[in-house]
Amino acid sequence: MEAGTITPVGEHGSALHRSPAARLPDRLLKWGLTALSVGVIVLIAYFFIRLVIESEPVFQQVGVVDFLFSADWVPSKELYGALPLLAGTLITSAIALLLGIPVAVATALFVTELAPRRIRGPLTIVIDLLAAVPSVVYGLWGFFFLIPKLKPAEVWFADTFSFIPFIGGTVTGPNYFIAGLILAIMILPIASAISREVISTVPSEHKEAALALGATRWEMIRMAVLPYARGGIAGGAMLGLGRAIGETIAVTLVIGNAPVIGDSIFQQGYTLAAVIANEFGEAASDELHRAALIGAGLVLFVLTLGVNAIARGFVMRAERGQRAARGPAAGMAG
Amino acid sequence: MSAVAFQPVSPRRRRADKLARGLVALLTGAALVPLVLILYYLIKQGIGAISLDFFTTDPTGSFLGDPGGIKSAILGTVLMVLLASAVAVPVGVGVAIWLVEFGRESKLAHAVRYFIDVMTGVPSIVFGLFVYITLVIGGVGGSSFAAWKGSVALGLLMLPIVTRSAEVVLLLVPNSLREAAYALGAPRWKVVFRVVLPTALPGIVTGVLLSVARAAGETAPLLFTAAAVNATAFNYNDSMNSLPMLIFKNVGQAQDRLVTIAWGAALTLVAMILMLTLLARLIQRRSRLS
Amino acid sequence: MRYSQFLALGSAAAIAVGVAACGSSSNDSSTTGGSSSSSAALSGAGSTFQAPLVSEWASRFKDSSGTTVNYQPVGSGAGIAQLTAGTVDFAGSDAVMKPEEVAAGRDKGVPVHLPIALGAVTVSYNLDGVRAGLRLDGPTIADIFLDRVTKWNDQEIASLNAGVDLPDTDITVCHRSDESGTTANFTQFLADYSRAWADGPGVDKSVQWPVGTGARGNDGVAGCVKQTPGSVGYVEQAYALQNDFTTAAVKNRDGQWVAPTLDATSAAGEGAKPPASLEFSTINAAGARSYPITAVTFQIVWQDACKAGISEDTATSLKAWLTYILGEGQSVAPELEYAPLPTSIQSRAQARVDALTCNGSPIA
Repeated sequence: MEAGTITPVGEHGSALHRSPAARLPDRLLKWGLTALSVGVIVLIAYFFIRLVIESEPVFQQVGVVDFLFSADWVPSKELYGALPLLAGTLITSAIALLLGIPVAVATALFVTELAPRRIRGPLTIVIDLLAAVPSVVYGLWGFFFLIPKLKPAEVWFADTFSFIPFIGGTVTGPNYFIAGLILAIMILPIASAISREVISTVPSEHKEAALALGATRWEMIRMAVLPYARGGIAGGAMLGLGRAIGETIAVTLVIGNAPVIGDSIFQQGYTLAAVIANEFGEAASDELHRAALIGAGLVLFVLTLGVNAIARGFVMRAERGQRAARGPAAGMAG
Repeated sequence: MSAVAFQPVSPRRRRADKLARGLVALLTGAALVPLVLILYYLIKQGIGAISLDFFTTDPTGSFLGDPGGIKSAILGTVLMVLLASAVAVPVGVGVAIWLVEFGRESKLAHAVRYFIDVMTGVPSIVFGLFVYITLVIGGVGGSSFAAWKGSVALGLLMLPIVTRSAEVVLLLVPNSLREAAYALGAPRWKVVFRVVLPTALPGIVTGVLLSVARAAGETAPLLFTAAAVNATAFNYNDSMNSLPMLIFKNVGQAQDRLVTIAWGAALTLVAMILMLTLLARLIQRRSRLS
Repeated sequence: MRYSQFLALGSAAAIAVGVAACGSSSNDSSTTGGSSSSSAALSGAGSTFQAPLVSEWASRFKDSSGTTVNYQPVGSGAGIAQLTAGTVDFAGSDAVMKPEEVAAGRDKGVPVHLPIALGAVTVSYNLDGVRAGLRLDGPTIADIFLDRVTKWNDQEIASLNAGVDLPDTDITVCHRSDESGTTANFTQFLADYSRAWADGPGVDKSVQWPVGTGARGNDGVAGCVKQTPGSVGYVEQAYALQNDFTTAAVKNRDGQWVAPTLDATSAAGEGAKPPASLEFSTINAAGARSYPITAVTFQIVWQDACKAGISEDTATSLKAWLTYILGEGQSVAPELEYAPLPTSIQSRAQARVDALTCNGSPIA
């Protein structure tokens, strides 16, 4: 059919009608892709179910509560209390958030609001490059470079601020703090990227209004940008947290791998992910030990699920707030 | 107009402003410091190993003699990630297409999105554990370590990243393009493959490259699935070397030459991932959609 | 980039990789000059104690026979577990399999322990200004690891080292975090000299350490010692030499202060009289010149390889490998500061290798 000609209406009353045979590829595509998507759901469900099944022996023997809350992890004596691991995971992740999120938000602010236009692009690329460093390199750098270099500073800090709980005491080489610091660096790119995106969606009317009322640059950020972007930033922080919780190799190289709960952040500890990496070679033929490690993996899985859900909650609330805020403002501007 | 009704900015507020801006700049600088330090350290430790031989010979594992190079590790990483992508990319893009074109806001689509989200949060070590339990100990294809099993673990890792980023890009394709195609009488499949996909391709490629970069650097999933060997292997049914495993294995060896090899390998790996990341960003910039 | 351009680029890249792959594979087959057909590759895992030696052996074995041996240094415990699970053909271990471990592998048959070399477990320390040869005896070392002695200038250490200027530094203990045969040997030594240790943490591949930082593998402990001023750790001789550690002179059973030298390691094996199963230990061996923390390191294989799931070809390779390391390989050991087996033990081990079977009949 040439373009520009008027096609006579066929016997079916429409020029676009196609025979069932011609519709087949469409149907194949639709059902094929649907099957694929359902398949993905089945895969993930199987994944979760398999983890639950394989970890059953340890929960039967030890009980869920004891597994989570007793403090003795001694595989050779068949004691599987994951509390030190859980504590280590949470402590290092908390340190990572405390150190990493302010820096991430600062970089996002700098890039979107304060930096000269020319360096915005290159600066963004450089920050994102932090994500390109593989975790094993982070761990090794932490072990060989950071630990020795920071030890004097840590000792000074522990001595000077020993009145703060969890700070005073001896400083071991590998410890929670170093692990938390490395994690903070690792979550920087993702938290920064999300914060950047959220901050750049702040309607310029808000910012201009603040400036027009005589606010300084910083006051404008404080009044117009941060409150607006709060939800999205929190969401980004949660995603970073999810990454920090699950990070294995980098942490196991710098945390000391001691299944105890340290007295201070400068003591060594263990995390759920690190114990799996360290012990699952040895658990190959020991069903209970294997089940315990899978149990640890399951706990990890549930933790990240929870964190992800919280992240999504933040983001959705933020989006709703943004939509509400945009409504009346648009009306006024229009 | 009469004199301005606003109060002049007090010195206190001006100071606060300067302080805050200085702090933000400082923290941003602090964010850049680790990257510089790491790259410097890597180069310092690893540059001694870099040579043409380094890239073209296999590690010999010899303690006393010539430690060889990292050829098998580079090839192994490439091959395993290739296989992982060969599965994860079509599946991921396929699911994304379904989500955007067919599923949209249906209940099933919500469920799929939720499960993909869940998958994004699973730590890589848990994927490795899962593959170890089901494929290695479970004895699928022989109860031994195999490169394809490592690829499965990597593929599981890549799948949600590819799906997520592909979905975002596909959603950005303007509906007007689709409608125009339909109006011209194109069947559904043609619209998807000849109009939507090509438009979204740069964005999808960006997502794929980023997930490849991520997979190439992962050690945890490979710890007990693909093991690590010295010789170059092309048989996916055998153990295969890989850069992260070589680094992990050699960096503590009681032999200086082997340690230098490990750092050289680390430098190589970071360089490869950096190039992939930069390529991805470049493609993203040139895309019509971003 | 246009669709077709991208497709072209992608396929070009794929072809390039393919050509490179084929190119190098033909390279490989031409350089494996050597004798025999390239037989089935072997996979092993386990002890980091023997890893440097196995690494060197594997490289030389490949040159002479063309067979590849892949060894993963994951710790004795993991090696045994992998052997039992059937994912490797042989395990490297410095500790004899425990009854539970043997029972776990029942369906694969009976494990055969083959001693392959002797190595010294050094007590390495990182102490500025203190030279090598610090005198430490069993009870003192045990007290250090029990957290009873916490400073280097403690009376217990000072009393053994008159004339040495010991600093007032805290002692940091470095130990293993994984299941280790080295730990089993070290704790055996401690238990022999310290009641408190025997009753407390005890002897095992993995114990509850009263104090200290955990690290994976001998290399991990070596790293810990190297990085931490004031630290002490137990590592195999090769690792101590590589890192230029200062090592302690330990008092042996005969009351002599012995440094971990090759001679002292060999001396520890001299008087050993292993049982028929060849499962023996040289910890705290008698002899004036013996180093008291000398460990025997084994490779463990199944008596009937094929019944355990190993293919006939692999079984043949396995036998060739074991024959090599018990034969020619013994002369390589001293180059890495491992002591070769005493001749009598070596021939007994070789006899066990010859007696390995594949589905009932001796391996070719």
